Amino acid sequence: MNDIQSQIISRGQTTLADISKTNTLSDLEQIRVSVLGKKGTLSEALKTLGTVPAEERPKIGALANEWKAKIEGALETKKSELEAKEIEASLGKTKIDVSLPGRRPHMGALHPITQTIKKVSEVLGRIGFDVTVGPEAETDFLNFEAANIPKDHPARDMQDTFFLGPGVVLRSHTTAVQMRAMRGKTWPIRILCPGAVYRADNDATHSPMFHQIEGLWVDKKVSMSDLKGVLGFFAKELFGADAKIRLRPSYFAFVEPGAEVDVSCAICAGRNPKCSVCKGTGWLEILGAGMVHPRLFEYAGYKSDEISGFAFGMGVERIAMLLHDIPDLRLMFQGDQRFLKQLR
Amino acid sequence: MKISYQWLNEWVDLSAVTGVKEGPVALAELLTARGLEVESIHKLAEGLDKVVTVRILERAKHPEADRLSICKVTTGIGELMEIVCGAQNMKAGDIVCLAQIGAVLPNGMKIEKSKIRGVVSNGMLCSETELGFKDQSDGILVMPENTPLGWKLADVLGLDDTVFEIKLTANRGDCLSHRGMAREIAAALSKPLKPPKVAPLDFKNSPIAIELEAGEDAPQFFGCYISNVKVGPSPKWLKQRLESIGQRSINNLVDVGNFLMFEYGFPVHIYDADKLEGGVIKVRRSKAGEKLLLLDGQTIETTGEELVIADGKKPVGLAGVMGGGNSEVSDSTKNVFLECAEFNPTLVRRAAFRFSRRSEASLRFEKGVDPAGHRDAIARLSDLVIKVASTDKSIAEMKGSTFKQLPSRASFKARQIQTTTDFIDGFLGTDIEAAKMVDIFKRLDCGVEISGNKLVVTSPTYRLDLNIREDLAEEVARTIGYDAIPTTIPVLTGMPSPKLGDTTAHRLKTIDRMKDAFAESGMNEIVAYSFQSEAWLKKFGFESSVKVLNPLSEEQAAMVPSLLPGLMGAYLENQRHHFGSSPLAVRLFEIRPVFEKVGDIKAAGASPLGGEMETGVRETWKISFLISGPRYDQAMKQDLGEVDFYDLKSVVEDVFESVGTKGVRMRAADSALLAGNGGTSNLAQLFHPGQTVQMTAGKEALGFFGRIHPKLEGELKLRNTVYWGELTLDPVIALTPQKEKSFKAWSPFPTMERDFALLVEQSVTSESLVQSALKHGKPIAKVVKIFDTYKGAHIPEGKISIGVRVIFSEETKSLEEKQVDQCSELIVKKWAEEFGATLR
Repeated sequence: MNDIQSQIISRGQTTLADISKTNTLSDLEQIRVSVLGKKGTLSEALKTLGTVPAEERPKIGALANEWKAKIEGALETKKSELEAKEIEASLGKTKIDVSLPGRRPHMGALHPITQTIKKVSEVLGRIGFDVTVGPEAETDFLNFEAANIPKDHPARDMQDTFFLGPGVVLRSHTTAVQMRAMRGKTWPIRILCPGAVYRADNDATHSPMFHQIEGLWVDKKVSMSDLKGVLGFFAKELFGADAKIRLRPSYFAFVEPGAEVDVSCAICAGRNPKCSVCKGTGWLEILGAGMVHPRLFEYAGYKSDEISGFAFGMGVERIAMLLHDIPDLRLMFQGDQRFLKQLR
Repeated sequence: MKISYQWLNEWVDLSAVTGVKEGPVALAELLTARGLEVESIHKLAEGLDKVVTVRILERAKHPEADRLSICKVTTGIGELMEIVCGAQNMKAGDIVCLAQIGAVLPNGMKIEKSKIRGVVSNGMLCSETELGFKDQSDGILVMPENTPLGWKLADVLGLDDTVFEIKLTANRGDCLSHRGMAREIAAALSKPLKPPKVAPLDFKNSPIAIELEAGEDAPQFFGCYISNVKVGPSPKWLKQRLESIGQRSINNLVDVGNFLMFEYGFPVHIYDADKLEGGVIKVRRSKAGEKLLLLDGQTIETTGEELVIADGKKPVGLAGVMGGGNSEVSDSTKNVFLECAEFNPTLVRRAAFRFSRRSEASLRFEKGVDPAGHRDAIARLSDLVIKVASTDKSIAEMKGSTFKQLPSRASFKARQIQTTTDFIDGFLGTDIEAAKMVDIFKRLDCGVEISGNKLVVTSPTYRLDLNIREDLAEEVARTIGYDAIPTTIPVLTGMPSPKLGDTTAHRLKTIDRMKDAFAESGMNEIVAYSFQSEAWLKKFGFESSVKVLNPLSEEQAAMVPSLLPGLMGAYLENQRHHFGSSPLAVRLFEIRPVFEKVGDIKAAGASPLGGEMETGVRETWKISFLISGPRYDQAMKQDLGEVDFYDLKSVVEDVFESVGTKGVRMRAADSALLAGNGGTSNLAQLFHPGQTVQMTAGKEALGFFGRIHPKLEGELKLRNTVYWGELTLDPVIALTPQKEKSFKAWSPFPTMERDFALLVEQSVTSESLVQSALKHGKPIAKVVKIFDTYKGAHIPEGKISIGVRVIFSEETKSLEEKQVDQCSELIVKKWAEEFGATLR
């Protein structure tokens, strides 16, 4: 063994020992440069290779490469070891309080009135109804006369109406939309008319502006049993599969026969005499309905002996209040975000 | 309307009603199921079952309290009881009402054994208020001396009745009486009606003649003259009947008139015959400006439209509404003249409204009374008057009676309606035997002829609501019960209407999508009233051109010309209840119409297909929105930030992108633009002229959005700066294609970027730099973005540094460095020429 060989071995062993003692990546890099770099000790040692006899050179070269590989291996191992340690150490420093609240963008909400109109339109859309709309300022003629409520008719008492001018009212129901639709096209008619309506009433259960959805189905051979079927389907879709409906005779000038429609109380199913929702009756009034009065067909220009039809109308706020347990109608119109955000 | 169970029971045997449930409850269900909705059932004795009559034997002052006394009372048997009482109006010897321990009074008060200032009280002596008889009363109720002791108060007062509150529909005027309700019950139960026996009048010898001078507006009038009446308190039975349905007893004659109305449904009037002059009573139109003293002591001035009753010299009553003060019955009345007449319902209704005197009588006239029933009614009234206005010593006597009828009434025929059993079955979706249908109509007092499936039904004269075959179908449905109608689903004839190409469907869908997009941008939808106060609108410089003529209050008098005032109202509502120092984020939007006068606001007559669709009011749908406060709903203080113009701008951009609206432009809105032509617009009041844009589509202006004007912000005392705006909806919908969005391919070759830091005058807008680069960088400069702006150190006064990034690409090949350099040079050169921009 000549000098170079022993030099390689001893440098190599020292280097391995240095590597194993190293604690930082920068020290490690320094070792790499000082040993394997262009001017590193190993490289320097090999530079003296010219001084040894030619026949020994391959042996020395092999030895040098062997040690180079050993050192490189040790450097690599140490490097990953130190890197892992470094990451480990940084984890503690970058620890955060995960119990702090999240950074949350604003989430908006559709008004319960809009949500309810959407819901009802979807349910009834499934069985063939299309949505249509009309103006809120209406003529007395379309709002009343064409709905079979002539001037001085006692039925006008049911609807204390706001006037904008002689013969011009804020519509008191969306029935005029039905008339506009019928005048616009021939039967069959299957429409839903949602929208704002106005009546001179203001307390916890009445608002001077509120919303209605009215439905109208006109065709050959439409019967009152069809009306019951459609409303029964509607009630089950909206209030659950166990919901039942009950029709009671009533009077609306634009239908004959007319009915008030109740849905069974989903809260107590009629079993709790002190139920706060249905007041112990087991039933909740949700809409008015009936068979279209033939006078409306005359106003629409239809021949009333060829066709029949049914119509129904509901208060949107009333449905929304039932669906969401809203206690006071006035909440709907105050724009209070504490209310609006709850029901998205 | 209140209806008494006992009173009904006189007219129809109610014993058959009682089944599983007791009579009144079962009857209420029966009535409701027939469309005569019972709103409430009230047992008159409710809450009184532990209230008994006692006599006060001693009254002594409470040792510990000056205002209280201790009464020793007795029911007549058993021990004396000590009661502490705060009232002052009783004395030893009085008979009073004692609520015993355990009583729950009508007002909900529970009586318990209690110590009052150290003295045990074994119950409470009651006032009329506590007994539910009156809303207010002084002291406790002291009963008459002949009241039996130890009885239940309800028994003493004969309170064994139950009263229904009926919500009658507008078409059933025939049920506004006990007789009317009894007819319905009789039909339902298939029981006979038990009317009182009334001897018909033979209409002669009336000292007062009748004249009809109003034509068909008053087609019949029946009168009856009764002498030697004695006015005084009503007999007990009469008092009880009226009081049970909430009517105050006045005197025997007034009461008997009311009784007939609530029994038969006919409003009648009783005149002091000696105050009628000229031996005649007539009905005519009033003359404009006639003075008429009414029963209530006030004088009205007639308009010439309403019907009045007059004697030979003067008007003596407002027909159908209220009698005259110059002919009313008084204590000294000796002879009376009874009136039972028919008046035009519309004229009665208008008169009642005009003079604000809607009454039980006018209500019945408005809804129409049986045109063939007056003869019976006047006979019944005359019987009743003689019965109650006679005493042992003086018998009232019918002197004579008379009537006048126009031919329309003299030959009045009940209405015949023709239909078929098939129609009724088809209309209801039922399958009812013909014999059963016939039975139903007979029970309803109708005449019926049937041959094959053809039905001819003659409706009773009192059923003014039975006119057409559909009415008959309803009677059948009501009688079999709506529950008995089957349930079916209607057949869908024809195809459902296609949505694509339907402008209404597209419009509604776009509104829905827009609302969703606003909600996704963190905005809460509100619905504000379409009417606001003029004063509130004025705060924003708005004036409403459409007014509510009969508003509930000034707060709701003006139809809104803009949604912004309502939106600000909602903002302030949120600010009002926001307490403490945590930041308040308010983010609201509304999509609703605003109202504008565009012509005469009046309907152009009600002729078919004429102007009845036109109102003179234009409704323009608006999109309005408002944000203020922190940028995040929830974040630490350092991240929270506060929204500014650019937050609102991105909301608007997001919404338009989300619904797919194309071709909307924005431009800075300075003072001149906001002020509009000749400074007429109020927008300059609403918006900050340096932080507002106008949105346009082609030449059409859509609206503005931006920062609220600091002056308005100060006036409204806003907690945070508000950014808001309002756009017109329908032009936006016109720019929103119905077509689904199409996929666009991107270049497969890599893009190259160049960043430029430009120094320009502050007046140069970044958008103009972008547009210039896009124009001159064609075809390879595809995207130009502003990524930085900077003012301050190292930047000369009045200048601004703008960082612009241009992204280059080509569809068909890789870009070459040289190409991009040349294009960049050109862009920079044009920036220099057009905007004096220099590279930093």
